[in-house]
Amino acid sequence: MAVPSLGENRESQSGFGGNGASEPQKGSAGMSVARFLRYGNWRRFMGVLPFVLYLGVFLLIPAITVVVDAFKGDSGNFTLSNFSVGFSGVYFESFKNSIQLSLFSALIATFVGLLVALAIVASPGRTLRAVVTAGSGVFANTGGVPLAFSFVATLGNFGLVAELLTKIGYNPYNHGFSLYSVLGLTIVYEYFLIPLMVLIMIPPIDALRKEWVDAASSLGASRIQFWRYIGGPLLAPPLLAGFLVLFTDAFAAYATAAALTSGTIPIVPIQIGSLISGNVLVGHAHLGNALGAGMIGVVIIAAIMYGLVQRRASRWLR
Amino acid sequence: MASIIGAPAKSSGVEGGSNVLRIGKIFRVVVLGVVGLYFIVPVISSARFSFTGSSKGISLSAYSKLFSDPQFWTTLFLSVKIGIGTVILSLVVIIPTTVWVHWKAPKIRRVMEALSLLPLVIPSVVITLGVITSFGSLPNIIMGTPVILALEYVVLALPYTYRTLDSAVQALDIKTLVEAGQSLGASLRKILWWVLLPNLRSGVLGVVVLAFAFCLGEFAVASLLSFTTFAVYLVQIGQTQASEAIAFSLIALVFTWIPLSIVTVVFSRRAGKRYRRGGGVLVASQSITELTELAE
Repeated sequence: MAVPSLGENRESQSGFGGNGASEPQKGSAGMSVARFLRYGNWRRFMGVLPFVLYLGVFLLIPAITVVVDAFKGDSGNFTLSNFSVGFSGVYFESFKNSIQLSLFSALIATFVGLLVALAIVASPGRTLRAVVTAGSGVFANTGGVPLAFSFVATLGNFGLVAELLTKIGYNPYNHGFSLYSVLGLTIVYEYFLIPLMVLIMIPPIDALRKEWVDAASSLGASRIQFWRYIGGPLLAPPLLAGFLVLFTDAFAAYATAAALTSGTIPIVPIQIGSLISGNVLVGHAHLGNALGAGMIGVVIIAAIMYGLVQRRASRWLR
Repeated sequence: MASIIGAPAKSSGVEGGSNVLRIGKIFRVVVLGVVGLYFIVPVISSARFSFTGSSKGISLSAYSKLFSDPQFWTTLFLSVKIGIGTVILSLVVIIPTTVWVHWKAPKIRRVMEALSLLPLVIPSVVITLGVITSFGSLPNIIMGTPVILALEYVVLALPYTYRTLDSAVQALDIKTLVEAGQSLGASLRKILWWVLLPNLRSGVLGVVVLAFAFCLGEFAVASLLSFTTFAVYLVQIGQTQASEAIAFSLIALVFTWIPLSIVTVVFSRRAGKRYRRGGGVLVASQSITELTELAE
């Protein structure tokens, strides 16, 4: 189960949430269905039924419909042709672009976010730390349309930074740069990905226990040896998990790209969007569904990897 | 104590927040400086662009044009209405659920939390596509009006709103409170209204801010279902009038930053009292943070 671990481990990572200590533990694992029914325990779950139903109607039904319809031809017959169109030509390119965009922007953000988190944890002042953490919480939330336009003001043809660069004799637009490209989007996405990574990485770095560092140093380890054998292996799982979160985030992002490029950049969410808005390919009314199913597939792979990595990570960081 | 990482430790600094890692000051200043610049420059650029446009000299014309545009106010009003609907519906769905889970079924707490994170797994574009195909035949009063947006926003904002209330309820001793109320002869409804809700104030405030900020910023679902909300109108303006759109963005950014910072600070102060290691700030901002994944 990949999805449950998303929540479970983020919390255990940050080291609080009660660690389940207050929960009654009687017969949790070995409870059989028969006992479950006999003791009337099912009544206990009635209270969450409205919530589950709501989620079922407004989230699961739409999602399942997308996947099911992806296998339907225009006359409702079963077919795989949506997928064969969806994974070829311009749509294949879109998947390639999307994955490339998400990989690169997540990689950069992982690296920069790690550096910032290290710098923050190493800083003596509590104020700086509080400001950066709060700021990260807010900036990580600055996705979408406003972000796109503030980057138009910065790196667009007449943006402040583009203008300054032109003044010192380097007009980026004469050197193949465009804000409205995959490269441009990568730069913009960092604005919400880096803060996310900072928030993800501060707790595991905090959790590197002083005892371990002291032990390593009293045994005569060098700084490189510490990172090679202790710090690195400990931080690798949360780092990888964080990377996967960022990847998913960037992969699903629609608003920023749509606003920035007026829906012209060939990435998967944009393609689905333009299929929804009526640019339907004749004979493939359910092509969008196939692309959607493809997206869900990619995200599920990332989520499964996240679950596996997190299980490893949570072993140490308690 | 000699630390192996970075410069030798000053004996006084050992107990501080930086217990393990000694990292050179130059490294820290450079990293935080460069990254800080990346975050500040777009704000400065937007401010400059919105005050000058592409011409010389300072003017407020972008702002005055924007504020005198009736559509600006209609779309803002529409988004506010959707936001209020979403907030109320979210509270109605989430409060009884979280209270119930902590009171009667703490075992499934983690399962519920995982369910609330599901919307992060399915991209909102895909959900929209599913909504169109599966609810397309619903009566016009739902699909043809922004009601459908509020209904979906409750789900899409769930990863942030649910966690916020869940941790607020977690902080209460629900069982004791309910039993105390019952032994005094109060009905469950009375207990919920007069005992639990007042204790959940900050959690409710968190949900209000998070859900509302989400609704104001959401673009994907609204535009694909062809509703001209605040964010959708912003994009429409942006196609012809850059400086107005940038002024608009700046306003939108500032107006999401202010309430979010307030919530972050409120939560970190609350959490700081209860938890060690400063983890509280993190969880509050984490749930805020995850908004991004949806605001997208």
